[in-house]
Amino acid sequence: MKSVPKLIGRCLRILLFSFVLLVILNLVLFVGVMTKQTNNSHPWATAKEAAEALEISDASYRLPEEIMEELKAEDVWAIFIDNDTRQVVWKTENLPETVPMTYSISEIVSLTRGYIDGYPTFTGEREDGLLVLGYPRESFWKHMWPSWDYQMIANLPKTALMVMAVNGMVIFLIYMIANSMLLKSVKPITEGIQALSAGEPVHIRENGLLSELARSINRTSEVLQSQNYQLRKKEMARANWIAGVSHDIRTPLSMVMGYAGQLQCDTGLTQEQRAKADVILKQSERMRNLINDLNLASKLEYNMQPVKSRTENAVAIVRQVVVDFMNMNIDDKYSIFWETPEDLCVCRIQADRDLLKRAVSNLIQNSMNHNEKGCRIFVSVKESGKTCEILVEDDGVGASDEEIEKLNRAPHYMVCDENTVEQQHGLGLLIVKQIAVSHHGDIVIRHSLRGGFAVMIRLDRD
Amino acid sequence: MLENYLKNKRILLVDDEQELLDMVVSILKEDGFYNICTAGSVKEALGAAENFLPELAILDVMLPDGNGFSLMEKLKDKADYPVLFLTARGEDEDKFRGFGLGADDYMVKPFLPKELIFRVTAILRRSYKSENPFVKLHGSEIDFERAEVIKNGTHISLTAKEYNLLLALYRASGRIVTIDALCEAAWGENPFGYENSLMAHIRRIREKIEENPSSPVSLITVKGLGYKLTVEGK
Repeated sequence: MKSVPKLIGRCLRILLFSFVLLVILNLVLFVGVMTKQTNNSHPWATAKEAAEALEISDASYRLPEEIMEELKAEDVWAIFIDNDTRQVVWKTENLPETVPMTYSISEIVSLTRGYIDGYPTFTGEREDGLLVLGYPRESFWKHMWPSWDYQMIANLPKTALMVMAVNGMVIFLIYMIANSMLLKSVKPITEGIQALSAGEPVHIRENGLLSELARSINRTSEVLQSQNYQLRKKEMARANWIAGVSHDIRTPLSMVMGYAGQLQCDTGLTQEQRAKADVILKQSERMRNLINDLNLASKLEYNMQPVKSRTENAVAIVRQVVVDFMNMNIDDKYSIFWETPEDLCVCRIQADRDLLKRAVSNLIQNSMNHNEKGCRIFVSVKESGKTCEILVEDDGVGASDEEIEKLNRAPHYMVCDENTVEQQHGLGLLIVKQIAVSHHGDIVIRHSLRGGFAVMIRLDRD
Repeated sequence: MLENYLKNKRILLVDDEQELLDMVVSILKEDGFYNICTAGSVKEALGAAENFLPELAILDVMLPDGNGFSLMEKLKDKADYPVLFLTARGEDEDKFRGFGLGADDYMVKPFLPKELIFRVTAILRRSYKSENPFVKLHGSEIDFERAEVIKNGTHISLTAKEYNLLLALYRASGRIVTIDALCEAAWGENPFGYENSLMAHIRRIREKIEENPSSPVSLITVKGLGYKLTVEGK
């Protein structure tokens, strides 16, 4: 749901930006239109120009030819009213007949502000009289009372700003209300989608603006849940089957191991017979390890193995595994060396003791399994920054670059249905990987500096 | 053999597989245990326990007429003796359930004969230590009953920590006990940072039990890992 406030913020920024942009655009447009319409004031200029240009010769008036042309082009008539007589002493030829030839003072005031017979008029003063230009009807609209309250003009910038602010606020308010209404209907949808991605069951009320969307999400959730259930059922069945089979193998294998163990120690038998019993015993142990690995791998794969993490001392756990191997009287051809720095007594981690012991013992067992002619195995725990590194390495036959690359990239045992024979070989190692992952750690498989194989489990320190 | 008294112990063995019973009996007998009674079901086991009066019970978890956990409760109602579970179910919950009810140990099938013997001996030693308080070492003897060491006719008493450490080492005698397990035995759970104290205590124990503490014979150091107590006559 973090994205929703982000979305609102973004919309709001767009809104504010468009509002500011609109104001600027309006101003630009207004100025543009106003400057284009300079025509509005030109009649006054023309009238002033014409009045100044009006010449008297032999008691008759005359306008220069170019001004006459200009007036004619716009279909403008002109009269000149004498100051003393208030009579028209000069006129253009196109003067309509309805235009009076004598004017009282009040008529002059009126024509200055407005019209003569519907013709908008513009005046240009001279010492001896007044030149009046009459533009065609409906070519100009004249404001007859061109005066404003002084305060109004003085307050105009303030008033304009206030109006704009109020406008802005109203728009913002409308936007927020509309937005919150939309959000209210979007919120359950977004929550639903998030829950879907988390694999949780979802049920959204199917009403309001986005009811169709809600319905689709509900259907999707139902489909997903049923698919998950089926999948889980299948996985459980598989894991239970593996658990069942391994359980059933345990008792017969106990007898094989038990009697083989007795025969191996039976001094009444020949050396050769005891060696044979030893082979049976060793192979039975491998089978036991395989059963345990298979069972655990399937449980880890299907999350059926609870990881009971608590604060543990990694040094103590690894030390116990090494000692268990030593106490088991392992074959003389294998020797285990404890290489943890002497000053490192405690390395606290969050771990499931049994699972971690299993991982480390799998690594030691792995070194033995792959070096039948014997090898030296070196085990150590080190702290590296915030990481606890558990390293098991040997000086045995090791592995090729390709094999190491393959092991590092190996997919999960349970999901891979190709090359399973090859995969089974590394089951023990895959379990180590699974255990590391279930502890939010990882493993690194590489060549050992001692010539053999090395695996490092890296876990976060507590 | 000094620990002969352990071999006399009456062991009740319960499993529904006759062949497995035969095998476990043969393993135990080979090691010198002879007082063994077997049963194939809860009913048989309860009947046998009445007359046999076992001193150790080795129980399977899954039985035809019930489970080993409830059988243990019924057996322990009558008399208190150690119980070792022997089962094909390796799941954790079973393990915790078993220990929660007072089981002394737990073994998952399949197992090696020597592992079974080790566990049985360890449980018996722990449970019946007062019957034979004397543990013979090279050059000295430990009397756990009186918490003292007898060396060259002199009685040297053990401190509580030394006693606990020696007991932990004795229970697993012949095997390495980790530094951490010893610290736990002496200082309780999560004993972080007691390694130096442990070394001091070990030194003092050696002074008490060894003829020549600077070259120990009975209590041997396994560098970086732990210590091993070697008991005579084992």
